[in-house]
Amino acid sequence: MTTTPADLTDLRPRRQILDRAFRGTTLLAGALILIILVLIAYTVTNKSLPVFRSEGFEFFTQRRWAPNNEIYGALSFIYGTAITALLAVAISVPVSLGIALFTTQVAPLRMKKWLVSLTDLVAVVPSVVFGLWGIIFLAPKLLGVYKNVSGWFHGWPILGDIFGRTGAGRTFMTAGLILSVMITPIITSISREVIETCPQADRDGALALGATRWEMITGAVLPHSMSGIVGAVMLGLGRAMGETIAVALVIGSSPNITANLFASGDSLPSVIAFQWGEATTEIKRSALIAMGLTLFLITIVINLLATAVVNRATKRVQGT
Amino acid sequence: MAVVTSNLQPRTQQLAADLTGISGRRRTKNRVMTVLMALCVIIVGAALLLVLTTVFAKGWSIVSGQFPAWFTKDIQLAPRRPGPGMKAAIIGTAVITAMATLIAVPLGILGAVYLNEYGRTRLFARIMRFFANVMAGVPSIVMGLFIYVFWVVPRGINGLNGFSGALALACLMLPIVVRSSEEMLRLVPQNLRDASYALGGSTSRTTVRVVLPTAAPGIISGCLLAVARAAGETAPLIFTIGAAKRTNWNVLSGTNTSLSMQIYGNAKESFLTAQQRAWGAALTLILLAFAATLVARLVAARLSRTR
Amino acid sequence: MNTVRRRLAIAGIISLSLVAAACGSDDNSSSATAAPTTAGEAAATTAAAPTDTAASTDVDFSALKGSLIASGATFPKGFYDDAIATLAGIASGLTVEYGGGGSGKGRSDLQEQVVDFAGTDGVVKDADKAAYKGGEFVYVPTVIAPITMSYNLPGVDKLQLSPKSISAIFQLEVTKWNDPIIAADNPGVTLPATDIVVARRADGSGTTENFSKFLDAAYGPNATPPGTWKLGGASELEWPDGTQAGDGNSGVAQIISSTEGAIGYVDLSDAKANNLTFASVMNKAGKYIEPTLDATTAAAEGTKINDDLTFFLGWADGDAAYPIAAQTWIIAYTKQADPAKAEAIRGFLTYLLTDAQKTASDIDYAPLPAELQTKALANIAKIGA
Repeated sequence: MTTTPADLTDLRPRRQILDRAFRGTTLLAGALILIILVLIAYTVTNKSLPVFRSEGFEFFTQRRWAPNNEIYGALSFIYGTAITALLAVAISVPVSLGIALFTTQVAPLRMKKWLVSLTDLVAVVPSVVFGLWGIIFLAPKLLGVYKNVSGWFHGWPILGDIFGRTGAGRTFMTAGLILSVMITPIITSISREVIETCPQADRDGALALGATRWEMITGAVLPHSMSGIVGAVMLGLGRAMGETIAVALVIGSSPNITANLFASGDSLPSVIAFQWGEATTEIKRSALIAMGLTLFLITIVINLLATAVVNRATKRVQGT
Repeated sequence: MAVVTSNLQPRTQQLAADLTGISGRRRTKNRVMTVLMALCVIIVGAALLLVLTTVFAKGWSIVSGQFPAWFTKDIQLAPRRPGPGMKAAIIGTAVITAMATLIAVPLGILGAVYLNEYGRTRLFARIMRFFANVMAGVPSIVMGLFIYVFWVVPRGINGLNGFSGALALACLMLPIVVRSSEEMLRLVPQNLRDASYALGGSTSRTTVRVVLPTAAPGIISGCLLAVARAAGETAPLIFTIGAAKRTNWNVLSGTNTSLSMQIYGNAKESFLTAQQRAWGAALTLILLAFAATLVARLVAARLSRTR
Repeated sequence: MNTVRRRLAIAGIISLSLVAAACGSDDNSSSATAAPTTAGEAAATTAAAPTDTAASTDVDFSALKGSLIASGATFPKGFYDDAIATLAGIASGLTVEYGGGGSGKGRSDLQEQVVDFAGTDGVVKDADKAAYKGGEFVYVPTVIAPITMSYNLPGVDKLQLSPKSISAIFQLEVTKWNDPIIAADNPGVTLPATDIVVARRADGSGTTENFSKFLDAAYGPNATPPGTWKLGGASELEWPDGTQAGDGNSGVAQIISSTEGAIGYVDLSDAKANNLTFASVMNKAGKYIEPTLDATTAAAEGTKINDDLTFFLGWADGDAAYPIAAQTWIIAYTKQADPAKAEAIRGFLTYLLTDAQKTASDIDYAPLPAELQTKALANIAKIGA
């Protein structure tokens, strides 16, 4: 999609300067953003060095987290973050897309404004409130649900392990559910805006050929919006992995690696939040910052994977 | 057979093709999907309703009972003691979020413009795009620690102020603003740009006069998301703004507080007065932030030219 | 086009940023300057700066001026908040803010000189003292309070627990309330067969530290006679699977009050606010003591105090001593750049050690024994001297 801008030698010098200045400003902005990121990466890496000096690479593979015994292991937290983020995305993406599509394709104009406000309202609820609501309302109610479901699948080969025994309402599943509600506004809002830009001609063309609304959506709207929706999902995933307080309150704070979704666990941001206040030695602090570094690295890996996968999928859907 | 549509009709009106010629299977699938989509709306609506019911039930009594002192008096110095208000936190949230928006939104939009209009597939742009995604996954607490180490500590005691908090929040907002704005810019049809170039416009003019206004509604949506997130975050502020209880309008100097910090801090206390304050602050934050989004969307609708 | 120029520019930007990073995270010596945040008129009161102990109790609190920022332990936060609130009515020119956040945060903040003083429930190791940018600091003990063993067992109003039972409960070695180990502490009481639910802290905490150090001293491998408490004494323990975690004392209290059969360690103030029932705990002298403020002060009287005023209250000697008591200090630098600020710090801390001690028991904190108060005041005098 390259384009040749108009020949700039025709323009008056002042406009040339303004044009260059504008371009320079945007480049500066881009560079500044990159610098900030490099700084974050640098600071985080620098401050986490002490624990790597003592643990080495084992920091990432050690299951146990026992600072009192000088054992620093991030594996349980990596697992917790990954599981809850995956759960959140798995639940939220279909629902968010459903809302976005409903808002733009199905709903009459008047309802549309309400639906936009609905999404905005979910977005303005602070993360702390979701966490508190989780403790007060959701976790106790879900405990009963978990017990029932666990009872149904008791003894089954795989499902019995996934929906296993539970002792509390604060579990991976609860955290995943709350996260899915929290990331829905991001995915919905951006997807909605992206879908709105689908050209009317494309949509009308599909309908003119006799497609039902759903066929029009899958045939004209989604292919057009695919990359935008993926961008939205990536942002949602990032939020899910980085959410601190809400997850900390409902995940149970028991570092744990188990297939049982109804078990308590812990996540990388949660352990930083909860242990920082009493991290009184330099190595403890560096271990916690190393958790942040770990999350950084995981995000990089996931983004690399996702970009590769998505490029393939987009090519297939868009036929480029 | 098919209904011809006119381009002059409002976009949002759905013209269904004549469906009587379609097989039952396709029709059923269409209906099922419509129902499922509606179900998604209901699910989220129900979740929102549950959350808001809890917040209102627990927070309404203190806000209405202490009205108007809730909004005009500073915070009680001892959580145990009853008495209004929440003014310091309301002002704090307002000024700190405003400052964070001032930093993050222009920077983010300009960065997105670079990414989509100038950089595109160049290596620098690809690196920037990739890392903007990575930044979106950094936990809010790490942003707070970063600003603490990098900005607050070198300034010693003067480092604890609203501006430091705004910096931390701006770091949180940037990836959302950049990435969502870029997506919106990408979706502006190329023929609009081409038309502008054909008329002799330079890239900068085209961007400012044609592309940005077209993408404006989407960009504003993205920015609203970012602002809403910033207003509700606690962790980055814990390390950067101190714990004031008196109203402080000055973002650049002096410690401050925010509604999100008050929610969390009070919720951790056992006293009934503190618990009520926590939920009152939660209700206040939700109402104020929602009002702000409504206003922003109204303004955006007015300013938008192409809708 | 101008690829070379562009690449040079990028290189320049990246190297600039690395330089900025190096500058940003360096310890700049200028951080020690406490720019005058005191009211401009503070100069007037610097004339009589008390530097001897005898005069400090005659401090005119109403004349205190300035603005102090502090953070640290959350255990004494209730006491400090109350003192700040009362003092605000007396000293209108003084603003004090205590942000809490945990002993670790407070020590870190003081180390970096981001606060004027910090609250800490634990002692700073000698090896770590070198990192404190302001140099030497003093410990000022401020208040003490008991940590209760709160439980939720309808029908059982009086419960007695020995370190042996507590250790067994919290390590999940016993699972039901009517276990023989617990029954041995409670002759004549019928305990139900309810499952035990252990509530503990999700966040790192000074309360956990004091509680676990008590168990370590009373029933750990180094106790006399040695016991089976394996988890050690620290602010964060490697709890066995199956315990429930709450955020803060209030989080633990909430778990206890909403779960039948639950037991956990909660400080007195939060336990009372949640109307929890607490158990009597066996002390070193073999007696079962209730977590009262008097029993806590008795524990302080029976504890050896070091010269720098550090001490450990748990498992104290004395017939009337409650064995799970917690202590806390405020730490502040002896060298203060601004004499006006030093005076404000001394004034506020003196208030904590004099008038505030008298009303401490109203809010469920125990005052320090008189002798310790005097020693603390002596340490306060060293600030800014």
